[in-house]
Order: sequence, then C-alpha cells, then structure tokens
Amino acid sequence: MIAQRVGVSAARRIVAGNPSGFFTQHLPKLAASRLSTTQIRPVGTSKITAEDAHSLLAQQRLNRPVAPHLTAYRYDQTWFGASIWNRFTGGALSGAFYAYFAVYLVSPLLGWHVESASLAASFAALPAVAKGGIKFLVAWPFAFHCVNGVRHLSYDLAFGFAKKQIVKWGWAVWGTSLVLGLYAGFAL
Amino acid sequence: MASIMRPAVLRPTAMAARMVKTPAIRSAFRPAIQKEVMSNAIRASAFHTTSKRDILPPPPQVIQGGVNDPVPIPDPSPSHGSYHWTFERLLAGSLVPLTLTPFAAGSLNPTLDAVLCAAILVHSHLGFQTIIVDYVPAKRFPTARKISTWGLNLATALVGLGLYEFETNDVGVTEAIRRVWTA
Amino acid sequence: MAALRSTSARALGSAIKPAFRPAMFVRSMASVSDTPSEKPRMKTFQVYRWNPDTPTEKPRMQSYTLDLNKTGPMILDALIRIKNELDPTLTFRRSCREGICGSCAMNINGQNTLACLCRINTEDASETKIYPLPHTYVVKDLVPDLTLFYKQYKSIKPYLQRDTPSPDGKEYRQTKADRRKLDGLYECILCACCSTSCPSYWWNSEEYLGPAILLQSYRWLADSRDERTAVRKQALDNSMSLYRCHTILNCTRACPKGLNPGLAIAEIKKQMSF
Repeated sequence: MIAQRVGVSAARRIVAGNPSGFFTQHLPKLAASRLSTTQIRPVGTSKITAEDAHSLLAQQRLNRPVAPHLTAYRYDQTWFGASIWNRFTGGALSGAFYAYFAVYLVSPLLGWHVESASLAASFAALPAVAKGGIKFLVAWPFAFHCVNGVRHLSYDLAFGFAKKQIVKWGWAVWGTSLVLGLYAGFAL
Repeated sequence: MASIMRPAVLRPTAMAARMVKTPAIRSAFRPAIQKEVMSNAIRASAFHTTSKRDILPPPPQVIQGGVNDPVPIPDPSPSHGSYHWTFERLLAGSLVPLTLTPFAAGSLNPTLDAVLCAAILVHSHLGFQTIIVDYVPAKRFPTARKISTWGLNLATALVGLGLYEFETNDVGVTEAIRRVWTA
Repeated sequence: MAALRSTSARALGSAIKPAFRPAMFVRSMASVSDTPSEKPRMKTFQVYRWNPDTPTEKPRMQSYTLDLNKTGPMILDALIRIKNELDPTLTFRRSCREGICGSCAMNINGQNTLACLCRINTEDASETKIYPLPHTYVVKDLVPDLTLFYKQYKSIKPYLQRDTPSPDGKEYRQTKADRRKLDGLYECILCACCSTSCPSYWWNSEEYLGPAILLQSYRWLADSRDERTAVRKQALDNSMSLYRCHTILNCTRACPKGLNPGLAIAEIKKQMSF
C-alpha cells in the first residue's frame, strides 16, 4: 500500500520534472503503468475447514504438470551416461542370448538349423565387411558391458567417486570399449 | 493531470496492455532499459512436457497422508534387498575371471563352459528382473508386473533348457563363438 | 488507496491479470549501478513457465533478455532482475542468496544446481535455459512441490536415537575420528538437487528414497552416538528404498555443496552387504 503510494508520487515527480518530452513520448505506457498503482486483485478470502483446504490442495495437485526431465537434463548424464548404456548393452546381449537359446530349443520342432556348425558355415559365406560389422555389433556391447561392469564393481567397493574421476572414467569406458570392439570385430 | 485523462486513455491502453502482456508496461519510466525490454516482446514457444509416448508417464500428483506424516516404511525383506544385492555383486565379480579365461586360454573345458553359461544366464535373469522392478512399478501396474515377472521366469527356464541342450549336443558356447568368429 | 480507485480503473485492474506492483522505483541488490559508457552485453534467458490459474495451458518457455552490465554475476541475480523489472509474475523460491538455504534449487542449462551459486555464463552468447527441478510436480513456474521429499526425509528419523545416558550425565562424546566420519554428510542442506537429478528417483520416487535422503540416512548410520543402527538398516533392507540406486552418479555430479551422495549410498550398501 505504502509502496504503491510512493510509486504514485514518484511518477508525478517525474512527470513534473519533464512534462513535455517524456510525457507525450510515453503517454500510453505511462497511462498503463498508472493502472498498476490502482490494482485490484480479483481475489477474496473466506474461511474454510481444514478438510476443505486439504481437498482443495489435493484437487490442485492433480492439475500440476511434471517438470521436464529426459528432455531437459544434460544429455551426457542421461542419454550418453555410461550407466544407461550398461543397461542397454547388457539388455541387448542378454536378449540375444535368450533369443538364440530359446530358438535352439525349439529348432528341431520347426526344422531350423541353428547349430554352431551351420551358423559358422553361413557366417563364413558373408562378405568380409558384413562379417566385421556384425562382429563389431556383438563385440562392442560386450566390451562396454565388461569394462563398465568392472567400473561398477569398483563403485560397489566405494572406489572412484570423486567428481573428476566419474567424468574421466565415463569417457574412458566409451573409448576403451570402442577400441576393443573395433579390434575384436575387424582384427580377430 | 493524470486523473483527468484517465478514463479516456485507459481503456485502449488496457486493451493494448493485455495484448502485449507484461514486460512492456513496466518499462515506462525506465528509458535506460527500454531497448532490452522492447526486445522482450514475449517469445514464448509451445513446449511439450507430457507427450503421449513418454517413458513411464507419471500419474497426476497424489500424496498419501498429510504433509507432516512420514512415508510408510516397507517391511524388511533381505532376500529382495541386501542378500539379493550381495549375491548379484558376487556373481558379477565371479564373471570377470570366467570371461577372461577363454580369451587367455582360447577355449574352455566343458565344465567351465557350463559354469560360465549358467552364470551368464543367472546374471541376465537378475538384470532383466532389475529392469522390470525399475520400469514396471508394482504399485502402479500390479498386473503388468506380475505378468512380466512370471514371463521372465518362464523365459529363463526355457533358455536354461535350451542351454542344457546346446551344452550336451553341441560344441559348447565358447568354442561355438570361437568357430563362428574365425569362420 | 481506495480513494484513488475510479470505477473504470477497477474494471481495468481486474481486466489485466495478473496485476502489477510498481517496483520500478526500488533498485534491488540484483541490479548493479548503471554504467552507460560500457557496451551492453545482452544475454537471453529461457525460463519455464506454468501458471496454476490456467491449468489447461501447457507449460511453455519464455525468453527474457538482460544486459549483463547491469546484472549481478549469478543466475539468481538475473532471475530477481527479471522479476523486478521485466515480469513480476515470474515465480521462484529464493532466500539466502549464498547457498545455505537450498531454496533456489533448479535446473540451469541441464544441470541441477542452486541459482545463487551458479554463475551466468558470460563467455558465449548462447541462451541460458532454466527449468524447475526435473520430474517434480510444478506448483508454479520454477517452484516444485517437495512434499514427498520432506515426507521421505521424515521417514528415516533424522535425529539422534539413543537409550543409554552419557556416562558423565552431560553430553554424548565421540572421538575426533568418529566426528570426522560425519564430514561431508552433515553439510547437506536438502535442496533436492541430487534426488531430482537421479533417473531412478524420477521413475520410482514414491518408493525409492533418493540420494539426498539416503545421504542423510547414512549420516545417522555413521554417527557413533546413535544406537538404532540395526533398525535404521532394517528399514532400508527391501528392494525399493535403497536398492533402486544403480550408481548412475548424477547425484554426485549435481550436488552444489560438493558433497558425495553416491559415495554415501555405496557405503550404506557395503555396510549392509557383509
């Protein structure tokens, strides 16, 4: 209230100090800001019971949005974090493991040939680039999961928690696993 | 002066103010910051926080109990807690030498090969289980949780059987991988 | 005040929502004095906006441009200046402006931190994005609802529990080494930066306690004077409360006080495993 009064008188003083230039130049906005000194909040207060207040709060909670997370957080800690890729690579490898042995179990019923000998034969028939590519696609997740798995085991022993180490080793895991994956894919 | 002109001027200004919204109005007495303010004509962009394809879309906020009540403490169950964790870590730790041996020795004898495969199977099972516990919360999706848990148990049993068949009829997993790799 | 009101002004006052306070004659600490000789250094801030009065409207990003020559060095200075001079409807929590109250925790350029401890990046002209703490329910603009967080804090009984009186009937003493174990734990200000940076807490906040509360939990587990260690451990020994931690370590990277919630959780797990 008092602040608003102060605002009004100060506005008058400015207008008085420079009546012509300032006033005409800013006429519409000045008028608008005069408005702000005479604001009314279209809000009333009323007494309600504690239960009503709680149910009102519960109602308001239902409207609340959830703050952005995966879209807002730093991608190097979410999408490119070593931890989630440990899950991705592990899930992919285990998924392939499950899929192959489930198929192996039912292959006699379906007449498929997925034994190691026929797999090796059909793999040998592929061009060299495809061979290397497929081997890389298996070797890189494996290398990543192994290297990062060891890192996680060291965490479980409470080693390597300094902020700098976390960042450094995170990128080191990416580098090492890529090198190992490329080596196993194209040189082995 | 201002009070004389108020009724006449205010109406259109107010309309304008409603269109321009907040920032411009307040700058009237601040020529110094006017430029930067003017460039602030609201550049609000549509922004989506909740798309339909969100991962694990959060439900509307519901809080159990009053704001001063603590959240309930779950019943202790070490077999899902500390024992589970310790077993998982010991298994993962034992996988390190088991994984390195075939690289060093070229291949594994049938017993070690079976041990390695069994360890990988259990390790995979625990991994999938963790994924289910993380992403299919039992409180929100009890049915989906039950289905996925038992689906995983069934899959693991089947794969275990397949693995047994492979180990008994084929050349062994490490040897098979070596053969395919060098094919 | 009432005498100033005319009927037309009343109509207009209610027409323009939200109403404004004339703060323009009050210079706040967030602004620095005008130095007209300097070249203006403009910086744009993109701020998350959502108003509970219009709940059907989607949250949006609103940009504000400030001259950094007239703004204090921290993000909080910029926010206060925006609120004072550009848009009084912008809502955020702040109190101590020196990183001890934890009120102004928010997500700045993708990293959870305290606005009062986060410098405005003056090196490049890129826009600074400011969001509320991730995956929290938003009360308004940058204000998250931390009710559940505090309820979880209460559930770990964050106070000394002891039955035996001290031998001399005065205070509970501990050795210097025991006291040193609490360093890096007692400094936590519960700003929720770490908990809301944790993807596990995003997906399972109802049951998983999250890094901040677990760090506090360890603060009492590590206290040599506390006599309820076994009960405290038992309360964590289930699949959700503690073991949803997968050492993602966003918590340690987020903590604006330089503490290590990730390490504290690892210590709890280690204590409970063998």
